[in-house]
Amino acid sequence: MSGPAPARDAMRRALVPLRPWLLTLGGVAIAAVYLFPVYWMVISSLKANPELFAAVPTLYPHAPTLAAFRWIFERENVGLYLQNSAIISFSVTALTLVLATGAAYALARTRTFWTAAMVVAIMAVQVLPPPLLVTPMFVIFRQIGLVNTQFAVILATTTKVLPFAIIMLRTSFAQIPVELEEAARVDGCPRFIAFFRITLPLARTGYIVVSSLVFLLAYGEFVYPLSLMNRKELQPGPVGLYSFVGADFADWSDALAFATVFVAPVIVLYMFLQRRIVSGLTAGALK
Amino acid sequence: MSISLRRPTDTTPWRMSRDRFLDSPTIWALLIGAAALFLLLLVGYPIAYNLVMSVQEVTLGNLPSFSRPWVGLENYRQLLADPLFLLVAKNTLIFTIANVAVQFVLGLGLALYFQLSFPASSFLRGLVLVGWMLPPLVIGAVWKWLLGSDSGFVNYALQGLGLISGKIYWLSDPSLSLLAVTIANIWFGAPFNMILLAAGLAGIPADIYEAAALDGAGPVRRFVWITLPLLRPTIYALLSLSTVYTMRAFDLIYTMTHGGPLDSSNIFPVWSYRMSFELFDFGGGAAIATAMFALVLVVALAYVRSVNAERPM
Repeated sequence: MSGPAPARDAMRRALVPLRPWLLTLGGVAIAAVYLFPVYWMVISSLKANPELFAAVPTLYPHAPTLAAFRWIFERENVGLYLQNSAIISFSVTALTLVLATGAAYALARTRTFWTAAMVVAIMAVQVLPPPLLVTPMFVIFRQIGLVNTQFAVILATTTKVLPFAIIMLRTSFAQIPVELEEAARVDGCPRFIAFFRITLPLARTGYIVVSSLVFLLAYGEFVYPLSLMNRKELQPGPVGLYSFVGADFADWSDALAFATVFVAPVIVLYMFLQRRIVSGLTAGALK
Repeated sequence: MSISLRRPTDTTPWRMSRDRFLDSPTIWALLIGAAALFLLLLVGYPIAYNLVMSVQEVTLGNLPSFSRPWVGLENYRQLLADPLFLLVAKNTLIFTIANVAVQFVLGLGLALYFQLSFPASSFLRGLVLVGWMLPPLVIGAVWKWLLGSDSGFVNYALQGLGLISGKIYWLSDPSLSLLAVTIANIWFGAPFNMILLAAGLAGIPADIYEAAALDGAGPVRRFVWITLPLLRPTIYALLSLSTVYTMRAFDLIYTMTHGGPLDSSNIFPVWSYRMSFELFDFGGGAAIATAMFALVLVVALAYVRSVNAERPM
């Protein structure tokens, strides 16, 4: 609202070709500010102790060192935590996809009162917080002797991701015209085979998005392993990380090195699938 | 006619019955049933069990047995009488409202910004979404490090900008710890708000804006009269979802402050967890969880309703 209208218009006209690039610059600034904590974690993990705790922190490591990384792998057995994380997250992903596929397909292809009620129930289950569910789960698993097994953690974590997977996959299946399957069946292909030959390949993008998100959620799960297992050698990364940072006096160079190692696969996976995850989330996260 | 249309596979009786089975309503029931049974056993049963435990005295000693002393509403009575109750209720309320509100405003701002057409807009938006993908424990660790009183970057930056003179004890000052975990959780949740609002924005047809612009409506009026009303179903769904997800901030709080100091950052899920797994008062933990389940389900129903309003079933 400042300045006379003609001058303002002239300035605006001069800026028009520049506008998109200025906006990109703003976008880069936003992303940089937002991602600063991640950057700070990585560069802090590369600093040796005096530099790490310097009164005036250095914005990049002046004497970068991998000592903390060497230490956590050689002395703190971080490899085992990562291995447990991989076992648990892959099992959760596999179990979730097996259970979700049938349910999502059936819910996408039928429209009755009961399927609608099912979808509502699944949405409600999706939002139950693990810290509240874990009390009865612990007691139940304890009664059937499953406490202190990774199997218990896999089952518990699957309850957290399965509703989400069903809802997302249902959206993918619903987008595939049923006529394609019917055409194949007229040609003599049973529905079961038609599903695997035609529908499943067409739902590929949905599967990539769902399985990577399920994997990431399972990979980050903390409450269930923390409470359902107390043997250190079974624990996944988040519980291991907690043992580094949960105490009042954390050993920060080790803790940040561990956090960096633990988060690296997440960032790599996300970078590869970014576009698909974003479009998948915007298409089906709420529905 | 009918012969030429007959499917060749129908000739074997085995094929025929299998095909008929795979086409029958039974198969749908079986496919849904497997997942439903899983959720019933591992979510439905625990919720019911939780309700039972909340009216029992459950200790480490009687944990494996099924016969426990019934105490009626004693667990609930004790909770209400607990001096912590009001503090935790206040913390939960402040934490939830602050998170939902600030995350929404930030998310809307980000969504609107990245919706403008400029090079690399969707890539940059994707970068911001990374925060939501990270394991909560990592976020807790990073923010605990950033907010450290002695060598934390936040104190250094605030001092450098001349905003504070001394050190701020973000995590050990009872008057600041709730703010500290709120900041971290906002960082975590804002991208989720952004991406859902971006989806809502993308669903608004561009020609409505063009028509309004032709009629002389400026950007502010277009936002108030077109964007907000058309975004309303998304906003309702998002607000209820993010209210419920705030209850999951457990991981962050547990890592950064453990609910302390002096329970200044304790919220209901943390209290329930500590009651069960630190004090081994599983009945008390179950009572808090039951009350929270009721609350979560009310919000969840609001969420389901708003989603269904958006997309007729």
